[in-house]
Amino acid sequence: MEKNEVKEPIQQKWIWVGVVLMMLAIVPWYFSKGGEITIVLGFPAWALVSLFFSLILCGYLSWVCVKHWNIVEDLEEDGK
Amino acid sequence: MDLAFSGMDGVIILVSYAIVMLLIGYLSGRGKNLQNSLSDYFLAGKNLGIIALFFTLYATQYSGNTIVGYAPAAYRMGFGWLQSISFMTIIIAAYLLFAPRLYVVSKRKNFITPTDWVHHRFKSSAVTILSVILMLWGLGNYLLEQLVAIGQAVSGLTGGTIPYQFAVIAFVLVMLAYEWMGGMKAVAFTDVMQGVVLMIGIIIFLAGSLYLVGGNFGNVTSFIADNEPAKVGVPPMDASINWMSMLILVGFGAAIYPHAVQRIYSAQSEKTLKKSLSRMAWMPPLTTGLVFVIGIIGIMMFPGLSSGDSEQLVGMMANEIAAINSFYYWIMILFFGGIVAAIVSTADSVLLSFSSMISNDIYGRFVNPRATEHKKVLIGKVGGIIAVAALLWLAWNPPATLYEIFVLKFELLVQVAPAIILGLYWKRLSAKPVFWGMLLGALLAGIMTLTGYKTVFGIHGGVLGLGLNVFIAVVGSLFITTSAKEESEVEEMTSLKLEA
Repeated sequence: MEKNEVKEPIQQKWIWVGVVLMMLAIVPWYFSKGGEITIVLGFPAWALVSLFFSLILCGYLSWVCVKHWNIVEDLEEDGK
Repeated sequence: MDLAFSGMDGVIILVSYAIVMLLIGYLSGRGKNLQNSLSDYFLAGKNLGIIALFFTLYATQYSGNTIVGYAPAAYRMGFGWLQSISFMTIIIAAYLLFAPRLYVVSKRKNFITPTDWVHHRFKSSAVTILSVILMLWGLGNYLLEQLVAIGQAVSGLTGGTIPYQFAVIAFVLVMLAYEWMGGMKAVAFTDVMQGVVLMIGIIIFLAGSLYLVGGNFGNVTSFIADNEPAKVGVPPMDASINWMSMLILVGFGAAIYPHAVQRIYSAQSEKTLKKSLSRMAWMPPLTTGLVFVIGIIGIMMFPGLSSGDSEQLVGMMANEIAAINSFYYWIMILFFGGIVAAIVSTADSVLLSFSSMISNDIYGRFVNPRATEHKKVLIGKVGGIIAVAALLWLAWNPPATLYEIFVLKFELLVQVAPAIILGLYWKRLSAKPVFWGMLLGALLAGIMTLTGYKTVFGIHGGVLGLGLNVFIAVVGSLFITTSAKEESEVEEMTSLKLEA
């Protein structure tokens, strides 16, 4: 079986830059307040943007778990 | 919560749930000598497979309160409550900061509780005792909240046929019984049943409520925009700051819950753990996200409720949904039974974790380190029962003053996070500054809550306490010189090897 290199999420800085950027995109601090409310697909536009980035964050973290975390898996699976 | 549709049918469903839980507990413990090993009893022999691990993680993070409490929050706050999706998701990011390494170290060192790691890393009784106190305090309050919620949900579901106090005692006895028989294994397997019912229930509840408002969510939003525009408008800046603060507080607080950390220890393998967490990352939109939509629909179904009345929102909506036809009627009864089951499933995890800390961290470490594992397990079980009895007494005789101390959860728990997370990666982190950071951070968070300043400029006291805590721990450690020997010891402790 081909051995994967050891991958620990905390050691890959780009993962965390991504998380922080997504947090900043989810929290709607950057929308202008008090203006006309536009409704898109049943959601106020700002909420739809926030929801979109919330879903991106779910997918991103789910993907990081599977693809960028590999420490002892090969050892454990070989030992079975 | 008064549910017009309930009564005897509700009682039948609740009794069935209770019987299934007891059966699972019996089967989990049958023929196995769980009582002779801390690891077997409290961590299911560190052998949880992907389905049980996923559902037990799910039941740990999502309780019946997620529905009963979060829908009214959406009702009151409007679209700003979308934050519930992101703050539940960010917990996975917090896990990713420490779970991969802690899993390896815990397998190598055979840890039982989060305190085992803290003690192993800092070798300081002061740090160990303070973390035990903070975690037990947070867990105790969390358990108290769940016990109160069980009573309210059961007496609501049965329309008062089962009175509040009887409901709590009956379900607590069921929970204690299956936990006594099967330990963590019973907790995890009952979580599977409880999780499935909750998920299906939420989806059908949403379908029923959408049906009642004409099937178009866009109409609901337009209705709110016309009648309560503040609930669809862009949140003001302090609400955005509060949102960001929630991400930090819940993210770190919920990942560091002792029962959450113990689920890392219980995983059968790294593969099961990462797959379970990977699936958990998708649960917020499917759970808190759908509950958010339910709360928003509630604004149109029951406009103008006061803050206190809005707490009854889920019950009021369930009454309407149950009246649609007999399919919805039975689903609503199953669902409310599911809510009770979900509260029980969160309470059982918390109780087991509480027992393990009494057994391992207090009795096993400080009172009688030479005790056999059998005796330690027994002390933990009995200690858990005493704790539940004390909490029930407290729930029924609430103190007139200082009630807020019994609300502190995340604010205190999160103060253990720097010791657990930073301790894994930074060799220079020393016991003394960690102790003072934890203590002063917890005091700041506690005092702010007690004096009514839960947030300052939207930032939670717990987050400010965490900031102070990290600052003291880091700056203090920079002033302490560590020898090369000490650093190499820490390197050994935190290494990524499976074998010692």
